[in-house]
Amino acid sequence: MSVAAGHSQSAIPGARFMDPSVLARIGNLELVSRAVVDGFINGMHKAPYFGASVDFAEHRGYVPGDDIRRVDWKLWARTDRYYVKEYEAESNSNFSVLLDVSKSMNFGTTGITKFDYARILTACLTNLVHHQRDRVGLVTFDNDVVDFVPSSAKHMEVVLHTLEKANPGRPSSLKAPFQKMAEHFGRRGVLVIISDFYEEPDAVLDAISPLRFRGNDLIVFHILDKSELEFGFTDASAFEDMESGDQMPVVPDAFRKEYQSLVKAHLDALQQRFSANRIDYTVLDTSKPIDHALYRYLSARARMMKIR
Amino acid sequence: MAFLAPLFFVGLAALAIPVLIHLTQREKKMVQQFPSLMFVRRIPYQTVRRRKIRDLALLCVRLAALLLIIGAFARPFLWRPNAATAIGPGAREVVVLLDQSYSMAYGDRWDRARAAARDAINRLGASDRASVVLFSSGADIALRSTAEKDRLIASFDTAMPTPAATRFGPALKVAGSILAESPLPRKEAILISDFQRNGWRGEEGSRLPTGSTLTPVTVGGPADKPNATITTASLSRSTFSEQERVTLTASVANRTVVPVSGDSLTLEIGGRAIQTVPLNVAPEGSASVAFQPFTVASRNLRVTVRAGNDALATDNVFNLVISPSTPVRIVIVDTGSRTGANLYLTRALAIGDMPKFEILNRQPNAVSDDDLRRASVVLVNDVDVNVGLARRLARFVQDGGGLFVAAGPRASWPQEADILPATLSQPIDRSRGESARVGALEYQHPVFEVFRAPRSGDFSTARFYAYRSVTPAPNTQVLARFDAGTPALVERKVGSGHVMLWASTLDLSWSDLPLKPVFLPFLHRSMVHLANYTEPAPWLTIGQVFDPDASSAKSQAAGRLALTPSGKRLPLEDEGSSAQVLELQEQGFYEIRGQKANSDVTVVASNIDPGESDLTALDPAEVVAAATGGAGQNAQQTASDVPLTPEAQERTQRLWWYLLATGILLLGVDTLFSNWLSKT
Repeated sequence: MSVAAGHSQSAIPGARFMDPSVLARIGNLELVSRAVVDGFINGMHKAPYFGASVDFAEHRGYVPGDDIRRVDWKLWARTDRYYVKEYEAESNSNFSVLLDVSKSMNFGTTGITKFDYARILTACLTNLVHHQRDRVGLVTFDNDVVDFVPSSAKHMEVVLHTLEKANPGRPSSLKAPFQKMAEHFGRRGVLVIISDFYEEPDAVLDAISPLRFRGNDLIVFHILDKSELEFGFTDASAFEDMESGDQMPVVPDAFRKEYQSLVKAHLDALQQRFSANRIDYTVLDTSKPIDHALYRYLSARARMMKIR
Repeated sequence: MAFLAPLFFVGLAALAIPVLIHLTQREKKMVQQFPSLMFVRRIPYQTVRRRKIRDLALLCVRLAALLLIIGAFARPFLWRPNAATAIGPGAREVVVLLDQSYSMAYGDRWDRARAAARDAINRLGASDRASVVLFSSGADIALRSTAEKDRLIASFDTAMPTPAATRFGPALKVAGSILAESPLPRKEAILISDFQRNGWRGEEGSRLPTGSTLTPVTVGGPADKPNATITTASLSRSTFSEQERVTLTASVANRTVVPVSGDSLTLEIGGRAIQTVPLNVAPEGSASVAFQPFTVASRNLRVTVRAGNDALATDNVFNLVISPSTPVRIVIVDTGSRTGANLYLTRALAIGDMPKFEILNRQPNAVSDDDLRRASVVLVNDVDVNVGLARRLARFVQDGGGLFVAAGPRASWPQEADILPATLSQPIDRSRGESARVGALEYQHPVFEVFRAPRSGDFSTARFYAYRSVTPAPNTQVLARFDAGTPALVERKVGSGHVMLWASTLDLSWSDLPLKPVFLPFLHRSMVHLANYTEPAPWLTIGQVFDPDASSAKSQAAGRLALTPSGKRLPLEDEGSSAQVLELQEQGFYEIRGQKANSDVTVVASNIDPGESDLTALDPAEVVAAATGGAGQNAQQTASDVPLTPEAQERTQRLWWYLLATGILLLGVDTLFSNWLSKT
């Protein structure tokens, strides 16, 4: 079996080239995430949306008990009224990653499995968000919730530790675990869902909807291996479903086009449905560098903030 | 169903080969892990259609062919534990031994024997095979191991009893060899005979193979029909008017329980009846019948003594060949100067009848070549032989004549003709003191063989007062010695003849031997030996071998023929240096002659073995026990109860052959079918 693998340059000018397979061999997620995020930040600190979270938000009238240091004296001089300044930076949001740890995530043909890619991505996002003083959390799920790390500014290490010990082994099902998670995410926040989404698009959307209705901002990363996208197998083989164990004889040469068209239709359907529900959706190829995903996150985050 | 070689079924694994080839040639069995078959399942199933077996019929044909061939190698058979008792005797190798001796012609024995043989053949099963052996003194295989009943019956249906005697030994040996070579599981010999006592001597080595059975079928019975047997004949020769006459006495035996009365005995000479005398013999008795003397005028006179018809005609004929007796001509060389020197010598030689001695006295200088040509023996009686006579005597001996030299005080022999067996020395005087005696004799020698038995003659009674000391030459044989160890009689072979030297006289001058009873037989035996005389046998018995070269009337060896009593001509060609011998098989007169019209003719009379006329029967169980090692007839019953071995059952069914043939046929069909498929 052979899979056509290739590496493309980062979409971000000046960003460090980070091969996911190299990152996968480092092992220490904290080190990996720090390296990725630091590098990413160094390359992006001139960006106009950096520091958006500490921008002035609004004035409100002084009420007894407010810290007089926050009184806007310039405005008092003009209006002779006491106003207090409020900033966005002070309103830290909850950030949680919902990570699929089903068995199908343990597939990879380019030197890194989808799960490892997703784990690195989670660590990087968490690290990045932690830099922004947001509260970070993590939920791993397959057909149920496996691990739940509540969002907290102090949970960065817990999140990394949970990621370290996560082990994909069971089949996945989105609906049940997402319903359970919706009960826990009472406070609005940013939820990043990382999965391979081997379910029908409508079913995926139905499963995610409870989270969406809670006012959470959803960012979806659809992680797929290159062979899942292109079906680059050559030898006729019995293909075994990693989750159900079912086998089917397949002759890839006669099969590839139909498969690719089906996958494309599936991705398009997901794209269409997520867009319709204002959910940011990104397909990630595990053969591509991770900074592409980080860029997608930050751009999505910026859009959310502008909309707010 | 059972199998002789079930391990061959391991080969059934070969059945998987075509399937494995089919699968491995179409798709490698590899498993590719894949996250989800969600999209794969949506694709039409045509991509896996190639795994299906398209030519199922072809595959089935190949598998069936392999299955049949493997099954054939496993040697299947239908197991029948009671096969032997359920379907009868099963595959048998039967040897029918049919007694063809002339006693089978007594009464209706031969017809009953053939009926018994026919019955045995008809009882053969489909898988049985049988052989027919006709035996008498020998055994001949008439037809060997076949299942064709018609041929088996025809092999003995036209046969008739032979004039030979019964001998069970050769027949059982032949049966044993046939049974030993047979692959059939059950072996049986059926012995059909009248079981004469004379036919069985308890021969060793006539055992049938182990597990074989011998079934005796007795066709004999009480000897209740009159049967006279001419057992032998004796000849008494006499001379009347210088013609030799012979008186023939025939011995007739009656071994039946009924008397032979009112019968007659006829003497035939040259095929013509000369005399007929009445014959009456009591039951279990015998009689001698003497015919009137008749003159024997010529050689090879064919004489037949014939009894009347009775229940067994074969033994009613007795044949003889009578020729005038041939005398042994002896030339006695003596000086004639001594009175009575030849007295005892001539008187002793004049007495002989068998053979007669014809004496011719000659002085040493009167011996002519004609005398020597006619003589068989020359006896030199104490003569000083000159060189000329000695040389002529030497040639005489070289040509086959006999020379007897009696060495008295005057005897001498020139050294120029060195044929004497010993060198003569000075006489030894034993007149004083104890006289010499002949102590050691070579009783193996024909001369002294008649004295071998006790009280058959004692040479030690003869006293010798003097004798010549002799020194034996090399390659001579000392036949007698004096008590001092000095040779008394020495013999030497010279050319075709013999020379004997007697170291004393044949008169009373040196010994009293001529007065002793041993003198005459000693002299006769010496002359007969030196003359190389053999009495021609008046008849031989069937089964004996006649050597034409040994007959007194030799024919020329080249191109000799034997004319049998039935008129057949048997060539007696030379094989290298020796001529063929003639085995007598028929009753009557055999005539042996050369190709030339005037060549000598030798006639040999051939008679049956008179012992075969003795119809006394023995217990067949004795033969059965000896031939089957004591198993007896019970072995037959035991063998029929013993179930056949798996190997025997498989051999009889031969299912493997059909399986193999079908398998090969299917492979042929497979070839044609696959070729057709590849073209379509």
